[in-house]
Amino acid sequence: MTPGVTRYVDVASRFQARDATTPAWLQRVRQEGLEHFARLGLPTTRDEAWKYTNLSPIADGAFVPSATAGSTAELSAVVARLALPGPRLVFVDGRLSPELSSVAGLPRGLTLKPLRDALVEDGALLEAELGQRALAAEQAFTALNAALLEDGAVLRLAPGALSEVPVQLLFLTRGDAPVLASPRILVVAGEGSEATLVETYASATGVSGQGFTNAVTEVTLGDNASLKHYRLQSEGDAAVHVGGLHVLQGRDSRFVSHNFAFGGVLARNEVSVTFAGEGGDATLNGLYVGRGTQHLDQRTALDHAVPRCTSRELYKGVLDDRARGTFHGLVKVRQDAQRTDSRQQNRNLLLSEHAQADTRPQLEILADDVKCAHGAVVGRLDAQALFYLRSRGIPRAEAERLLTYAFARELVDAVPEGPVRASVEGLLAPKLPGAPRTEVTA
Amino acid sequence: MALLSVRNLHARVGDKDILKGIDLEVGAGEVHAIMGPNGSGKSTLASVLAGRDAYEVTQGEVLLDGKPLLELAPEARAAEGVFLAFQYPVEIPGVGNLHFLRTALNAQRRVKGLEELDAMDFLQMAKEKSKLVQLDAAFMNRSVNEGFSGGEKKRNEIFQMAVLEPRLAILDETDSGLDIDALRTVAGGVNGLRSPQRSMVVITHYQRLLDYIVPDKVHVMAGGRIIRSGGRELALELEEKGYGWLGLQDGKAAATKGGEARR
Ligand SMILES: Nc1ncnc2c1ncn2[C@@H]1O[C@H](COP(=O)(O)OP(=O)(O)OP(=O)(O)O)[C@@H](O)[C@H]1O
Ligand SMILES: [Mg+2]
Repeated sequence: MTPGVTRYVDVASRFQARDATTPAWLQRVRQEGLEHFARLGLPTTRDEAWKYTNLSPIADGAFVPSATAGSTAELSAVVARLALPGPRLVFVDGRLSPELSSVAGLPRGLTLKPLRDALVEDGALLEAELGQRALAAEQAFTALNAALLEDGAVLRLAPGALSEVPVQLLFLTRGDAPVLASPRILVVAGEGSEATLVETYASATGVSGQGFTNAVTEVTLGDNASLKHYRLQSEGDAAVHVGGLHVLQGRDSRFVSHNFAFGGVLARNEVSVTFAGEGGDATLNGLYVGRGTQHLDQRTALDHAVPRCTSRELYKGVLDDRARGTFHGLVKVRQDAQRTDSRQQNRNLLLSEHAQADTRPQLEILADDVKCAHGAVVGRLDAQALFYLRSRGIPRAEAERLLTYAFARELVDAVPEGPVRASVEGLLAPKLPGAPRTEVTA
Repeated sequence: MALLSVRNLHARVGDKDILKGIDLEVGAGEVHAIMGPNGSGKSTLASVLAGRDAYEVTQGEVLLDGKPLLELAPEARAAEGVFLAFQYPVEIPGVGNLHFLRTALNAQRRVKGLEELDAMDFLQMAKEKSKLVQLDAAFMNRSVNEGFSGGEKKRNEIFQMAVLEPRLAILDETDSGLDIDALRTVAGGVNGLRSPQRSMVVITHYQRLLDYIVPDKVHVMAGGRIIRSGGRELALELEEKGYGWLGLQDGKAAATKGGEARR
């Protein structure tokens, strides 16, 4: 084991030893997580799936879990800024803060529970569902998350339950200490149910915040269920973030993922979707915006395992200074998956000489009756458009900001108008100041 | 004094010389037409005046109201009152037409020390000006030129000119691709903007436009030079006799030097 791995193994062992009253099944999940992590170790750039990403900030960091959320009253102003109207659970340094949380207004048919409560009260369900979509045996960070399983959330939708208001999970790090947060989120959507879930990750200290968040979300969509999922990752520029979102879609189910990656010196955002029933529809949208020395790594995997499913994927990156963005999108169409319809696009805009983007669309198509398209672009601001704007009197820097926002806005506009869109715009504004503040219409 | 003075202007792209000594004086309130075969350098002249940095000026000078223009950035020239209606206006997806235009107007106003217009005042003014070229409100709300037809793009250029109120407007083939009704509308819009304080340089291939926008002077460009200048009748003569009449069968400049041909 490398020193980095040993340190995380020690951290997880101490965490597991501290709590003797844990139910046997949960002890087993954590122990297996630890064993898998110790066996897998941290990925290196020699691993295919981590080719572009140097994990030394994780290997070298002395991150430890926080024991409690501590006193969180002073964070209420931050929460007020980031909270959406509607039910929410708030976590501080990876630990539930009951006083900042509020599940009032939870629509009928929805159950939202802190994971720590569900681990005690709903053992049978969790034992059956945890680790089904995210595989600790194969993914080091899922294994590490399992080894430290404690906080997070469980969202259940009864069959036919419909929710208009978004449910929010707000993960705040104080950002003043190297805290390791390991939230696990479980979503089980019954047949024909519909909901919106927003995961917001932010540093209470703003851009300077540090810490390591290793989040895992597992989603199971029943037949004809529909979930809109948002990940707003806007932690401080010194933070480290690894997020995995793993989805299994039932027959005729619909899944939309909006993945916004703005924060972190190193952030990895992974989305994997498996179609398990015919007629499924998945849309994966992503926007990553990096500056300074940020490294933003996006990985998506779509598994068309059954016929007649549709996937649409659009990821865009905006990279300034010495930032580096990577996109690796795998679309797998299995032999039986006839009449698959899949489109994937990755576009990158480089704003400086030293910014870098690596894009790697990867199609593995074994079926013959399919429609699959993909495209990847790395480019700069259009000189003609820039001249057009300047020739009308708009100063160069302002014209560049306008064009940069114009490039990114497709993904902001893909968010339906309302509080979630406003939240995205609010988080994006400091990074892309070209947004029109008051859009006039005739 | 002329509003625009172009003196012995030479410009090139890479090692290709395109403008080879242009002399042009446009008085305040005057409208000058520039005609000439394809590739003679008309759009290049327009771009150089607007400040496109793809072109390198190798000789000569340009004065606007006596002040040197060539050292200014494009945005500074715009604030000084230079406006180019592009031959091929670019589409800019994601930038709203109105937001763009208000940003432009306010940037110019800042330079002039004027207060910025708020969204409501601007909207009211823009609506008023859009009537001039009969540009539908729906176009104003779309992204800049995105999905506009050729004629709609040209109308949008004149709409922008109406909002920005330049001192010197250069219209590069604003009539090309317009049907006769659209041509009348656009020409009507341009005429509505004629004033003793505003000069215009109208680049066109067609005498037809000059029936609507009547020029004070007509220049013929070929091979990067102005080879002939005259009154309105020069355009009529050209229409009748073609460029061959000026010894330009192959599109190249005849031996005549620009300076000698000017009246
Ligand atoms: N950016 C450029 N790079 C290379 N050559 C150029 C460039 N811009 C213009 N040219 C060349 O310079 C010459 C003049 O072009 P310009 O567009 O100014 O002609 P024009 O008179 O406007 O023609 P038209 O009537 O067809 O619009 C042409 O030969 C053209 O190919
Ligand atoms: Mg031209």
